[in-house]
Amino acid sequence: MNAYLEVSGLRKRFDGLQALDGTTFAVEQGRITCLVGPNGAGKTTIFNIITGFLRPEQGSVAFRGHSLDGLRPQAIVAAGIARTFQNLRLFTDLTAMDNVLVGLGGQFGEEPLGAIFRPLYAARVQARRRSEAREWLAHVGLADRARERVRNLSYGEQKLLTVARVLATGAELLLLDEPASGLSAGALDQIMALLRRLQQEGKTLLMVEHNTRVVQQIADEVLFLHQGHLLAQGEPSAIIADPALAEIYFGGAL
Amino acid sequence: MDFLYSYLILAEIYVLLGLSTNLLVGIVGIFSVSQAAVFGVGAYIVADFLLSGALPFLPALAIAALCCILLNVLVTLPSLRVAGDYFVVTSFGIQLLATAAFTNWTGGTGGANGLPGIPPPVILGITLADTSQYLEMTTIAAVAGCLCFWLIMRAPFGRLLRAIREDELAVAAAGKGVLRAKVQAAALAGAFGGIAGGLYATFMSFVDPSSFDLDASILLLTMIVVCGARTLAGSVVGPFLLLALPQALSLVAIPTSVAAATRQLVYGLLLIAFALFRPQGLLGEKL
Repeated sequence: MNAYLEVSGLRKRFDGLQALDGTTFAVEQGRITCLVGPNGAGKTTIFNIITGFLRPEQGSVAFRGHSLDGLRPQAIVAAGIARTFQNLRLFTDLTAMDNVLVGLGGQFGEEPLGAIFRPLYAARVQARRRSEAREWLAHVGLADRARERVRNLSYGEQKLLTVARVLATGAELLLLDEPASGLSAGALDQIMALLRRLQQEGKTLLMVEHNTRVVQQIADEVLFLHQGHLLAQGEPSAIIADPALAEIYFGGAL
Repeated sequence: MDFLYSYLILAEIYVLLGLSTNLLVGIVGIFSVSQAAVFGVGAYIVADFLLSGALPFLPALAIAALCCILLNVLVTLPSLRVAGDYFVVTSFGIQLLATAAFTNWTGGTGGANGLPGIPPPVILGITLADTSQYLEMTTIAAVAGCLCFWLIMRAPFGRLLRAIREDELAVAAAGKGVLRAKVQAAALAGAFGGIAGGLYATFMSFVDPSSFDLDASILLLTMIVVCGARTLAGSVVGPFLLLALPQALSLVAIPTSVAAATRQLVYGLLLIAFALFRPQGLLGEKL
């Protein structure tokens, strides 16, 4: 029996820095798994490799028993894995609705010939996609912000919008890069409730998170990364209670 | 009357070029300074076919459009590998290369002397000999071009292109093909440029490299920047406004010897003034 997501022996070097040094771990379906570790531990590099934005020098990634090695980001989204970015990377000049629509598949008229020669059909399909996008916005609590340009949204709303966009791709495994960082207490509660709801709806979440309170409250499993390899794995309470890990995480030991 | 018609015809041809440039520079964010080269290739292809009598006007125009689609895709491809500002340098090189080819390949282009005596177009047995007939044709072409642009911008394709301009990586992460969309946009811009070239060659009945040089590319960019990047209105108003400038200057009593220099001077000042004080142009959005 293969694991849901299996990452094995990843090695990646950047100009003399060994970012990943034989990283191996597995993610189980339907769980919320948090990647933690000090800065430079390789968390975002792992995201970049799983989603096809970086190629590792060694190692492989398999999803549902199928290898993802060498696939482009587009193919990996089609396979059912999509990601958010720590710095959001929303299309700030577009509306919230348009941001979600870019993530939605199955759009007629997303190429010039269809747009020019079958405009009426394209518009009909588009109307359906818009109502789908509106549902995703409602799902994350942004129903009334659909027509707003992203730059006019609050930071918390923008974070929610990144989740709506990643949901629109139809992916079942969501890679969230620090979904809770920089949020006020109210926005934090809102996003944690959303993440739990996504889990109940059958999504699997792999997230990078620094906030230990968030990790403790939400994670089923914690992967502790240090200097490019997996140092510890377990339930959040066990990881957080480990004094050796705390020492690495909060400074001191290098 | 002919004076006014000529102005309108040229402005409408430049509307097609404006749409082509706006699509690449304004919408997708591929900062091309070589759109005049594509324009020129379209013009020379149609001129050569008509001068040799090998093909009638419409098939020649279709072939010019196809060649310019291929050419524009090829010259835009570096933008997929070369990031942002560096593409301007690449594109600049392509423009210089094209000017060199137009000037020196005497067999195909007549070299610096150009190709005179290009016959008027014949469409469905009607020879478009006078300017009012010609104006009808360019009006149809310009309106069709604007319609295409408008349809694209309101379709998902337009949204995808705008998203690519803002953040290619995020578009890829959303599962969409960036390469394919850029190639499609470049192809469309190439078709507009090639058709504009064919119309220009037959209307002027004479082509030479000076119409397709770096100055011409920069004039196109000026039209877009001054009158509005990213919008249909900007692509239409730009050519009409900036091509009226030489006419307006000709009303002022300045010697012809300095008229051309004065025109360049005004274009340059306009460009600087708009970049500083109104970056969104008259009717557009900020680049």
